[in-house]
Amino acid sequence: MQPEDHAFRRPAFDRRIIIIVGGYGSGKSEISVNLARQIAQNSSESVSIADLDIVNPYFRSREAAQQLEQFGVRSLVPAGPHVHADLPIIIPDIRTAIENPDGWLILDVGGDDVGARVLSSLTDAFRAGSYEMLLVLNGRRPFTADVDGAIKMITDIQDAARLRFTGIIANTHLMHETTPEIVMEGLSLARRVSQRTALPIAFVSAVPEIVSRLSSREIDLPMLELDRALVKPWEHMGNTWTDRKLRIR
Amino acid sequence: MAKILMKGNEAIAEAAVRAGAVNYFAYPITPQNEVGEYLARRLPEVGGVFLQAESEVAVGNMLFGAASTGKRVFTTSSSPGISLMQEAISYMAGAQLPVVLLNIMRGGPGLGGILPAQSDYFQATKGGGHGDYRLLVLAPSTIQEAVDLTMLAFHLADKYRNPVMIIGDGMIGQMMEPVEFPDSYTEPELPPKTWAATGADGRKPQVVKSLFLDPIALEKNNILLHEKYQAMKREEIRFECYKTAPKNKILLVAYGTMARICQTAIDELEGEGISVGLFRPITCFPFPEEALYAEATKSNIETVLTIEMSMGQMVEDVERVVARQRPVKFFGRTGGIVPSPEEVIQQIKQILASGQPTKVKV
Repeated sequence: MQPEDHAFRRPAFDRRIIIIVGGYGSGKSEISVNLARQIAQNSSESVSIADLDIVNPYFRSREAAQQLEQFGVRSLVPAGPHVHADLPIIIPDIRTAIENPDGWLILDVGGDDVGARVLSSLTDAFRAGSYEMLLVLNGRRPFTADVDGAIKMITDIQDAARLRFTGIIANTHLMHETTPEIVMEGLSLARRVSQRTALPIAFVSAVPEIVSRLSSREIDLPMLELDRALVKPWEHMGNTWTDRKLRIR
Repeated sequence: MAKILMKGNEAIAEAAVRAGAVNYFAYPITPQNEVGEYLARRLPEVGGVFLQAESEVAVGNMLFGAASTGKRVFTTSSSPGISLMQEAISYMAGAQLPVVLLNIMRGGPGLGGILPAQSDYFQATKGGGHGDYRLLVLAPSTIQEAVDLTMLAFHLADKYRNPVMIIGDGMIGQMMEPVEFPDSYTEPELPPKTWAATGADGRKPQVVKSLFLDPIALEKNNILLHEKYQAMKREEIRFECYKTAPKNKILLVAYGTMARICQTAIDELEGEGISVGLFRPITCFPFPEEALYAEATKSNIETVLTIEMSMGQMVEDVERVVARQRPVKFFGRTGGIVPSPEEVIQQIKQILASGQPTKVKV
């Protein structure tokens, strides 16, 4: 007899520092913001998020800083107008947070090896075994559409970051055109990458509309439900570039 | 081919490659750097060249040189970088060179900021450089449209032997949307480029230039260019109407991503029983004059409201076209601030109530 579908498990981690890395536009910031919120909602420990994206000034996790504050998530971002800059500003608080962990720390890193290079300036701050470094993998992005592309991304990022990956996030999607089939196709890619690299799949991520159409029997992995925070100004009401409201259910 | 998720900058880069533009010269500037990132990786696969110049001034002149050989050439930049290229753009227009330029606009004037803006409309459509010339200007509002218009841009540049500029605010470059590329790309046949400098073996050398010391020759060139711009006005007008209906009192005019924000506002207002339509120019030059005049002067329309991410640039074309047949109002935000659907709704309601938009308070 087939077991009944059960609810998806939430992502859970033993280590308190979670580094989110991946190709440009793979979904790192959206995952970082949602992870920070969900951990804050389910943990009594403090949660901080550091936006280390110094290569791209748009759609960054820092845009959700105010909204995350509602959940007690502290954002480590440059102060004043520098928050809008694409300058290599790494505020000292980030190093301090890595060296002296106090609760949870989510590091949202810029795209590709270029964006991950910033980590190499902090490599010595990480204690061995203190962090998870997760690759956000979207199989519908041009350079990570196959196993070889994904492995090249992993190698390039590791070389630039001087840190090793500990897992993969299966985040294949096509924005509003995502279907359960596209998620499953992406998961299959993630499984093949996992086999080749021996990196486990940490969790799968998708928006609630898709999650409700996925079977936890087929996907025996934790699921991160994404309540999209970094949306385009026309995607829903209540939005401006500088004053976004998270849609909280 | 399956749909993939691409940033506007990447999608435009790939579209250029598909259209056969394998000569790319550029200098980095936010928010369009992903074009260079993408092409640095992609062009070697197709035997192309990405040459990073020492400045945008050099880029402009590299474009001139490469376009003179008849090959498809391409550059991308953002507002201050495009300003630096203006001399070469004027020279290329004068020398009738086909070239495609992308401006992912950021806030100005001066160094300004790096967030989205639409404040280079004047520069793009009215001639940012010197002399009597025009660029053919295309303004996509989605990533798929950016792909389609980029491929079209190379065809139009060759067809008219004139620079074509694609303008998008920072969001067009930075946002991600699903896109599809045609499996095979075909375009209408064009005459051979007999003007190109391809080596003078067995024939007289030909010179590609914009220098005409003889006043008659220079005036002839100006008349020839002018005739091309007239032909563009006849043949290349592109626009879209959204929910234009006989019960509308207000007609919105907006282009690029601003038009999508207006669409959200229009859909929301529809739920409240307020019916509003949108006119979206896709070609900013040639401006869709006849079509806009027809929409704006329909008997039900009381006010035309232009909305831009600028202090008011395209609105001057709208005023020119509407020619005082209807009041033309304006609402805009600058500095990288993108008007929200709510702000647009508020302006529409304000106009319906009092005939005037509200001033922005910062």
